[in-house]
Formats: sequence, C-alpha cells, structure tokens
Amino acid sequence: MQTSKGVSSVAAWQAALFSLLLPGSGQFVLKHRVRGVGVLVAILVLLGLVLWGSAWALLAPLLAIWLWAAWDAFQLGNGRTPGIGIPFLFGAIIVYGMGVQATEIQPGRLVSGWPSMLPYLKALTQPELFEYPTEDVAGLVPIQVPCIDPLPEPDRLPTEDPKLTINTACTSVGDTVHVSGEGFFPNFEGEIWWLNPIGDVQRVIVDGEPVVFTTDENGRFQIDIKAPLAVPVTQQPGPGETQTHTIRAEQHRPYGSLQETQTLSLVLEKIGETVALAFMATILGVIFAVPLSFLAARNLMEGNRVTRFIYTVTRTVLNVIRSIETLMWAIVFAVWVGLGPFGGTLALWLHTVAALGKLYSEAIESIDPGPIEALRAAGARGPQVAVYAVLPQIFPTFTSFTLYRWDINVRMSTVIGLVSDAGLGFLVIQWIRLNRFSAMATAIIAIVLVIAILDYVSGKLRQRIIVGSPVTREISPTRRLLTRGAFVLGFVLVFAWSWRVSQIDLVDLVRGAPDGWRLIKAFAVPDVTDRPVEEQLVTAVLPVPCGSGESSISSISGARVNLSLSCGDVGDPLIITGHELPPNTDVSVRWAFADDAYLRIQSNCCETDETGSLRLETAIHPLMEVDPTSERNAPGQVVITWDEVVGGPQISESLKTVFNLSLVTLLMALLATTLGAFFAIPLSFFAARNVMGDTPLGRAVYYAFRTLFNLFRSVEPMILVLICAAWVSAGPFAGVLALALNNIPNLGKLFSETIEEIDTGPVEALTSVGAGRLQTLVYAIIPQLVPKFLAFILYQWDINIRMSTVIGFVGGGGIGQQFRLWVGLNQYSAAGTATWAIVVMVWSMDYLSARAREKLV
Amino acid sequence: MLRVENLTKVFPNGTVALKDVSFEVEDGEFLAVIGLSGSGKSTLLRCINRLIDPTEGRVVWHDQDVTAAQGKDLRRVRRQIGMIFQQFNLVKRSSVMTNVLSGRLGYAHPWGSLFHRFPAEDHKRAMAALERVGIVDKAHTRADQLSGGQQQRVGIARALMQEPNLMLADEPVASLDPVLAHSILQYLELLNRQDGITVLCSLHFLDLVHRYATRVIGLKDGELVFDGVPADLTRQRFKEVYGEEAEMVTVGGNLQD
Repeated sequence: MQTSKGVSSVAAWQAALFSLLLPGSGQFVLKHRVRGVGVLVAILVLLGLVLWGSAWALLAPLLAIWLWAAWDAFQLGNGRTPGIGIPFLFGAIIVYGMGVQATEIQPGRLVSGWPSMLPYLKALTQPELFEYPTEDVAGLVPIQVPCIDPLPEPDRLPTEDPKLTINTACTSVGDTVHVSGEGFFPNFEGEIWWLNPIGDVQRVIVDGEPVVFTTDENGRFQIDIKAPLAVPVTQQPGPGETQTHTIRAEQHRPYGSLQETQTLSLVLEKIGETVALAFMATILGVIFAVPLSFLAARNLMEGNRVTRFIYTVTRTVLNVIRSIETLMWAIVFAVWVGLGPFGGTLALWLHTVAALGKLYSEAIESIDPGPIEALRAAGARGPQVAVYAVLPQIFPTFTSFTLYRWDINVRMSTVIGLVSDAGLGFLVIQWIRLNRFSAMATAIIAIVLVIAILDYVSGKLRQRIIVGSPVTREISPTRRLLTRGAFVLGFVLVFAWSWRVSQIDLVDLVRGAPDGWRLIKAFAVPDVTDRPVEEQLVTAVLPVPCGSGESSISSISGARVNLSLSCGDVGDPLIITGHELPPNTDVSVRWAFADDAYLRIQSNCCETDETGSLRLETAIHPLMEVDPTSERNAPGQVVITWDEVVGGPQISESLKTVFNLSLVTLLMALLATTLGAFFAIPLSFFAARNVMGDTPLGRAVYYAFRTLFNLFRSVEPMILVLICAAWVSAGPFAGVLALALNNIPNLGKLFSETIEEIDTGPVEALTSVGAGRLQTLVYAIIPQLVPKFLAFILYQWDINIRMSTVIGFVGGGGIGQQFRLWVGLNQYSAAGTATWAIVVMVWSMDYLSARAREKLV
Repeated sequence: MLRVENLTKVFPNGTVALKDVSFEVEDGEFLAVIGLSGSGKSTLLRCINRLIDPTEGRVVWHDQDVTAAQGKDLRRVRRQIGMIFQQFNLVKRSSVMTNVLSGRLGYAHPWGSLFHRFPAEDHKRAMAALERVGIVDKAHTRADQLSGGQQQRVGIARALMQEPNLMLADEPVASLDPVLAHSILQYLELLNRQDGITVLCSLHFLDLVHRYATRVIGLKDGELVFDGVPADLTRQRFKEVYGEEAEMVTVGGNLQD
C-alpha cells in the first residue's frame, strides 16, 4: 500500500523495524521528519530523566513508548496517522513518577505527621491578644545530660522556694524524668521549660502537647516529662563529658484588669515595620524605576544604535534582577549590610525597581502617539509635549502599577523576616523556634489580616484611579492648596517615619561594600568547572619538652618548613619559616598532634610571597606537649599544607548539585501546579455564582467558597511552607504541599471567575437544537473553559517556578535550601551558580509558557 | 500662498510615499486631497507642517521655506498651521479644556505652561473656541467621555487656539458617521469662508468633495494624477484616481451638490 505522503519506497514493516532500532527513524524515512525527530528527542529526554533518578521501574512505560514508535511507523507506512495520546500518557507517567520520587512525596506522612501539626492548628484558634497582668513564680533544678560515671557536681543549685526536685540527677535525650514541686501557687496550672547550658529556652513537649501541670491545694505537683533534644549544636559534649541543663517550672497567676499582651504589642509594632518597609521600598523603587523605564521603552529608544544598545542593556539587567526572587535578594543583602530592616528594604527595593521598570516601560510603549503628533503640529516644545501629551497618558497606569507593587511589597515584607530580621515574618520564625505557638499564631493572623485588608483597599483604589473622575470639579484655589498641602505634609511624615523604621543607613551600605563587591564578583562568575586538587604537606617534628623525641623535617621537591627551635617548652617563642613553597598561594599552617588531630596556628593564614617563602611568629601551643598517658604520647609536628591541582578541568561539584536541584525544583513546581489544578477545578464550580444559582442554599455555598478562597489566598506560601514542614517534615514534599495548598484557592478563584464569564449564547443555541444537559456541557461549556483554564494553569506554573526557588529557605527543599546553605558557608560562587541556574530556569519556563499561552488564547 | 515644489518622500524601509509632487494653493481655497489609502495623502499633509521631513523638494508658506526651518522658526511656522486628525489625537485622560488649551502651547510661556499656567486671555479664547464648535458645556468633562463627533469638535477648537491661517485636516471625518461628517465639514467650511483660513483636507467620499471643496488634487501611488475643480472630477476621472473597481458612494443623501 502506498503512503499518503506518497513517494517513499520503504515498506511499512521496514519503517517499523527502523523505529524499533532507533525510535523515530522509521517516521523519518517515511518523510514524517518532524514527528520522527520529536519521537527521538522525547524518548531521549525521558530516558535521561529515568537515568538521572535511577528509577528503573519507569523504564517500562519508556519501553511502551518505544514500541508505540514502531507501531506508529508501521501505521504511517500504511497511510494512517495514529493519535499521540498513548505516548503522551506514558510520558506523563514517567515525568510524574520521577516527580514523586524526586520530591520525596509520601502521602503516609500526611497522616503520621498530623499530631505535630495539631499544636499549630490549635494555636491558630488561640492568638495571644489580651491578658491579665500576672504574678509569677518559678522553680529551677539542674539536670545533667548525658549520664556519666562518676557524675560531677552540677555547676548550679536548685531553688529553695518554690522547690523543684527530680528523681534522677542525670538523664539522656528522650528519657522520662519525674518532676515534683512544692511551694507553688495552689490549685493552679503551670508550664515546664527546659534551658540548655548556653541559655536557649524551650517549652517541654510530650506527645506533641506542651506539658502543663496543676498544683494541689498545698501548692505541690508531680509530673513526668521527657528530656528534649536541647544540646547546642556548637557545643556538643565530648566523650565522657556531661552538660548541666536546667528544668524550670513556672506559674503565672493573673490579677487586676485585662491588658494587651506583650505579643500583641510586638505584633502591632512589627505591622508598622512591615508597612514601612514596603512603603520605603516602593517609593525608592519608583524614584529609580521611572527614569530607567524611559530607557527601557522600545518606542523611545528606537532612534539610533547607541540608544538601542542602552535599551537592550537596561531591559536585560531589569529582567535578570526580576527573575531572582526578593527573598533571595534579602539573603544577599543580609551578607552586604547585615541582618535587619535595612537589608530587607534593599532587597524589596531592588526587585521593585526591576519589576516597576518593566511595567512602566510597557506602559510607555503602549501610549497613543496621536496626541504627541497633534501637539507637535501646534508648535509645542519637547517638554511641553511630555507634560501635555505623554504624562496624562502614563500617569494613571503608572499610579495603578505602583499601587499594585506596593501591594506585593507588603506581602513580601511580611515574609522577608523569615530570612532577614525584619517585619512580621521575623516574629513568626522566632516564635516557632521558641515553640511559642500561640504567639506565632498571633503573628500569622496579623499577616493574613494585613494582606487581606491591603488587597481590598488597593484593589478599590486601583479601580478608582483607572476610572478616574470623568468631570473635573471646580474647587476654590484655597481649598486646593489646603488639600495639596495636607497631602504633601502627610507624605513627608510617613516617609520620614518609614525611613527611620526601615533603618536606612547608607554608611552600612558603603561599609559593607567590599563584602558586597566580593559577593557580586563571585556571583557573576558561576562555578562551572573546577580542577581536582590534592593536598600537599611538608612537616617538621617539634618535640615538647626537649628529649621527648627526635626532631626531623620532611620536604617535597625542595619545599620545606624550618623551625627556629629544634625542641622547646610550652610557651616558648617559635618562628616558623617555609621555603620553596608554591609562590602566592594560600597555605594552612597547623599544629599536628600524634592523635591525628590538628589546630590552625592562625585563622585565615597564610599566603606565600612571590618567592614561595613564608614567615610566622608564634609560641608553642600547650597541646603540643607530649602526654604519655593519652593518645598524644609522641611529639607533634608543625605542618604546612596547600592544594595542588592535579588533572584537567572537570564539571564542578556545585554545578552538578545545581543541576540536580534545578530538576527537583522544576518537578516540585510541576507537581504543585498539577495538584493545585486537580483540586481547584471541582471546587471552583462551587464558587461560581451562575452555577450555584439564586437559591438560598446556592448563595450560601457560593459565599462560603468565595470567602474561603479569599482567606486562604492571603496566606503567603512561605508561611504555608513553615506549617507544612512541621506537618510532613522539612523537604521537597513540604514545599510541594505548601505550593499546592496555595494554588488551590488561587486557581479556584480564577477558574470560578472564568466560569462566571461564560458566553451563554452557545448554550442557548444548543438548547434550541434540542441538545441535552450533558451535550451542552460537552459542546458549549467545556470548549469555552479549557483554553482559559489551561492559560491560568500555565500562569500559575510560572509563579510556582519562582516560588519553588525560595521555599527552600524555610524547609521547602529544592534549590533554595542549597542556595541559603552556600551563602551561609560563604561559598558565594556556588551560590552564584545556583542563581544563574534560577535565572535560566525562570527565563526558559517564562518563554515556554508565554508561547504556549499565545497558542491557547 | 502655499507652494509645494517637487516633493518626494522615501521612507527608511524603501517605501516611496510621494513622487515629485508639485502644486500651489491660493489663500482662501478649500482644497480636497483624494486618493486610496496608502496613496500618500497623510504623508503629503504631514510634510507641509514637517511632522514628516521630506526627502526632496520644498514647501513654501507665505514666502517662508518651511522645509528649511529649524527649531524656533519651525515652531513658529507650525503654530500658524492648524491640524486636525482622523483619530482626533486628543489626550483622552485630560479634560476638554486642557486639550483645547494645549493648542496654545506654541505661544505659551515655555516654563509656566509646564505647570498648567496659561494667561487669562487664553482661557477666554478657549471658551470662545468651544462656543464656536458648540460644546462649551463640556469644558470640564474628560475627553474620553465624549462621542466621536464631539471629540473632533474639540480637535477643531484646539486647532483654532493657534489662530491659524492654514488648516490641515487629515481625513477628519473618516471615523465618523455620515451625519456627523457633514457637521464637521460645515465647521471647516465656516472657518474657510468667515475667517479666510486656507483648508487642505483629505477626503474619501466624492460627494463630500463636490459639496465642500473649491479645488481637488488626486494622488495615486504618491504621484499627482489630478488637479482641478470638483466639477471636473467626473466618474471617469474618479476611477483613474481610485482604480477600476472603485464605486462612487454617496454620503448622507439629504444634502445635494
């Protein structure tokens, strides 16, 4: 049989064989070239994905696609064109399978983690708003962790009144301790707290519930607690050592009249800080964005090559800055100017400049050139044209965009505190660390309220600005002067207050500049390749005291270390010189002990000079003394080490990590979007007015869903991540869950609005031809909904990509977690690699989804 | 007198919009410019007040070489030449008053005007202009609240603020329905007859040409293919300008020519 594409002489079975050997080749020889290449690329990409995750079970669907390719070639050879639904389905199985594996999705954890969520949820119903002033009583008792033999005396004494006693002087983490107290307020509740040796305090929790004791009428109580994990990370006890912790039992008995809690006043103060930060960032952002937007407007910069160059550079820089999330900038600026409101303001400001610069320039690009022409025809000058023809056109859009951005900035500044000590987010993270759930809940509720109120107000305001006033009202000049004066005065006051609250300190900016510059330099040059290195070392044995061993030196091809003493006692001055070492190289000079432990003689030391020499003056360290009773029973050495490059350049470790995590991040966004859409689609019908009808029940359901959507939309994804990390433990799963929980109300709202805007014409038409309800649904309603739903899903996917780069900062997994770690370890060029990967990821996905959306709409 | 000499315009993309066009317009004439879309009518009008710089040729207005004028001189020439547009070219978000006053910018103080300061007589002049076009009650309304015909009247009022002695009208009625078209052209006719303002107006409809113009020029592919009085513009000549497929369409049958 001849193929429809005709001329090929290849028989169907031959084509099938080709495609069995190399997928797509059969299609290719049958002149279905695009299809052939598409099949090959798809199979290679999917294979890469399976190999990357070593998910061998997923080879089965891949094999199915392979076989399908052969069958497809056979069908094409016989002049039929099969649909691509089947391979698409198998492809989806592979991608989602990989997604589930890479993001460590374990639905079981939703159940098993539920108990640790309960304190959070319960706390949300019990915010700390007002309280009675209390009289307080507290009893303390020391306890040693872990138990050792012999147990030394604790370094502090228990309190006498009230008195707290425990059934054991020492314990291990997780063991039960029986606590009894006397001399407390009678018939009253109290809390148990645990203090570690460096003074960190935490509430004692048993079975997910904070421990509460109740005293009898004599002021006594007895309770069992479990020793929590409280050993400070930086001060782990060595083997055979113990640390003294403290158990504290405290009661707060109210008296007098109700007053606001310290929590509430702190929250109120931080609401101010949040709003001030957003205000400052927006105003400063506008000041920088307006001039930049003119440089980034294509219609103004078409003039000549120079202006076009300026346009391209401005646009590119704005785009790069914009594709890196504000929270990420907050981490960068925290390095530059330190933690606090100022760093937060800078991060918000930078992102604002980039985002507004782009929006403004688009507004400029879309102005009507007619009025400009008309005024030029009337003989007006350039500035006059700007004031009369350009400004009135761009002013409303600019103002509306500015308000919109201020909205976003308030949202962002509520969570910027999660990484930088500023605003409400800082309180949330602080109180979570202290296990003060109800205080945390107060802050979270404040965040939701601030965002919801602002959303509403700025929505109304934006609408008013866009509509404007159709008729200019005549007002007396004095009144105009008064209102303008009041406006200016108010603005100046708010500005001054915000300036103070956001702690803008240009000196800090300058002082931090070297750090910032180092950061920028390292960021700009990503870690693409590195070269394998081997540690080289030269040593000199130094017996302390003299006679405890032989002194000797080792050298590598002339490189050696010389000491001014061949032996000595602790504290003797010692001059260490290195010779014929690699010139201008960072080396490390150490005391090395017989038990393989070592100690740097000086931190951040040293660099050799251009001849490869080095000189260091010090004194012999006490640990160098030979101690025959311990493992340090032989003389120590002075060691100089350095790294020498062996072998050629290779793909750097950080690049590999970044690649892996980028894939994980993409898959996180994919799964979250899918989950979000999956739940949002059915729910959205309940929030569509035209679906729910005008019955009392319908209206009630409609309002209930609308309100729920709006309420949950105000919960920032970063906050959801915190809660989800407590639920299913930190990791990519928590991130996916948080994003999905955020997507459901967001998409639900958009979907329900789409449903409400359905054109009833086709429904009417189909009803008139006698179609049934289901038929109308399939032929008149679904075709209207699908493209719009898909467009919204793509849009959400875009946002999810951006969000999934930062949710790792607070336990959501993905590339953000690694980025924060690298910045914390001062590995800026690795962090830079991650940043560039994010830029590439955001851009390519932006581009793809924009293309896809164009096709849909 | 307006003299157009050997005017040629080649756009950077290579399009030849005008090819060696020459004609003269006596003061007080109502000259209609006809031709297909893309025949160069708009380019011709815009070359006269130099919104577009011609590639070759000269435009001389009252013995002044417009094509050679620069900066201050150019603005001085421009403010004597009023212009109205097919799309009205109003600033939609500004009030009618502001739009009308902006026609005075060529005379206004260069700095004071930036803060919306105009002399009191300009305000009076603006009210007078609005009264002349019959929309004085809309002075404080925003321009986008007006109908198309009203917007074009604001455009005329804005041009009147220039106290022009030449008025360029670039398809002033193409965006309006037939009845409004007549009312706008009647205003132009009034300016032409009462104030002696020379009018150059590009038009699409033959009956409008017959009704209002004192003279007609026709452009085809950038070349001048007709120059005469409306009475000479027969059906045959009309087809020469517009091509064989063109049909004559009448506008607003209530008016006879």
